[in-house]
Amino acid sequence: MKGKLVFGILAVLLVLSCLSISGVSAHRLHIVHKISEIEIEAYFGGNVACRDADVKVYDKDGNLYVEGKTDDEGKFSFPPKIGVDSYTVVVDAVHMPGHKAEAVINLSQETAGTSAGGMGTEMPLYTRTIAGFGYLIGLAGAAMLYMSWKLKKK
Amino acid sequence: MVHISDGILSLPVLAAGWVITIALIAVALWWGKRKGSIVEEIPKLSVMTAAFFVASLIHIAVGPTSVHLILSGLMGIILGILAYPAIFIGLVLQAFLFGHGGITVLGVNTIDMGVPALVAYGIFKAGNKLIPSESLAGKAGLIGALAGGIAVALAVSFTAGMLFTLGKGYEWAIKALILYHIPIIVIETVIVGSVVAFLVKVKPELIEGLGGEKG
Repeated sequence: MKGKLVFGILAVLLVLSCLSISGVSAHRLHIVHKISEIEIEAYFGGNVACRDADVKVYDKDGNLYVEGKTDDEGKFSFPPKIGVDSYTVVVDAVHMPGHKAEAVINLSQETAGTSAGGMGTEMPLYTRTIAGFGYLIGLAGAAMLYMSWKLKKK
Repeated sequence: MVHISDGILSLPVLAAGWVITIALIAVALWWGKRKGSIVEEIPKLSVMTAAFFVASLIHIAVGPTSVHLILSGLMGIILGILAYPAIFIGLVLQAFLFGHGGITVLGVNTIDMGVPALVAYGIFKAGNKLIPSESLAGKAGLIGALAGGIAVALAVSFTAGMLFTLGKGYEWAIKALILYHIPIIVIETVIVGSVVAFLVKVKPELIEGLGGEKG
């Protein structure tokens, strides 16, 4: 009778300990990873989305990696390839044959902040416009200087 | 959109474009010098080049794309032969600062936009001489409008022609190019017509295409 009781207690303990083991394993931390996409956005000067443009992404050796078309917002996304941290993205607005652009995306150098900001590292439009006027005034000035120097020589 | 970008055209076409453009710039400068002092023309040239430079920023949404003003016709009417070098300078600045077109295609693009300017100048000059009219402003405005519209149509046809040299695969692009520029032809016709009519009234000596006719 006593032996049966001891056996019973042992059996209960065994069941409990088994339960407690599975209880611990329920807290195991799992890590799965998913590499999300690199998103590019193409737009024309004046913030007009570049729709339906051909996009070609090359790796750093110049091999074509993925290609596709931009959506209605001028966006295109592609998953990065493991071990490749530099991509050259070429956007060709096929319905506007004069418009093609190229950008290099470097994952190892770019911080999350700048990549979220898109490829827009160029000067704002108004500064480029003012720069253009500046060049023109400079050219006009240089031409006038040359002419006046010629006139003086005469 | 009439700006063709780098890496599209074949090398012989690019080279021919440069040769023709350099020759035409030389002729234009020589011609301009023969006709009188270029010094007096410099301020006008600069202002017109600036106008041409920024005109490409005025976008008009057409279908899925946007097209911009070209102003070749106005350049030709106001600057005459010198419009050609002015357009070249404008295109250089557009290529570097706005990314319109490209560096290697500058020769071809200058032909596409510069030759229509010269044609517009010819039409405007001949038209004003041939058609007698009481009101110079009205007549010049109408002929200017016509020349401005023809210049855009020509620029588009030249660009389409350059793309045509590429053969297959560009038919759709050529169709789109022509179709999307119809509104620009209409808009530039109105703009050039009204600018010319206005200038003839206030300062006719600014218009090279009037060639000595007094308002």
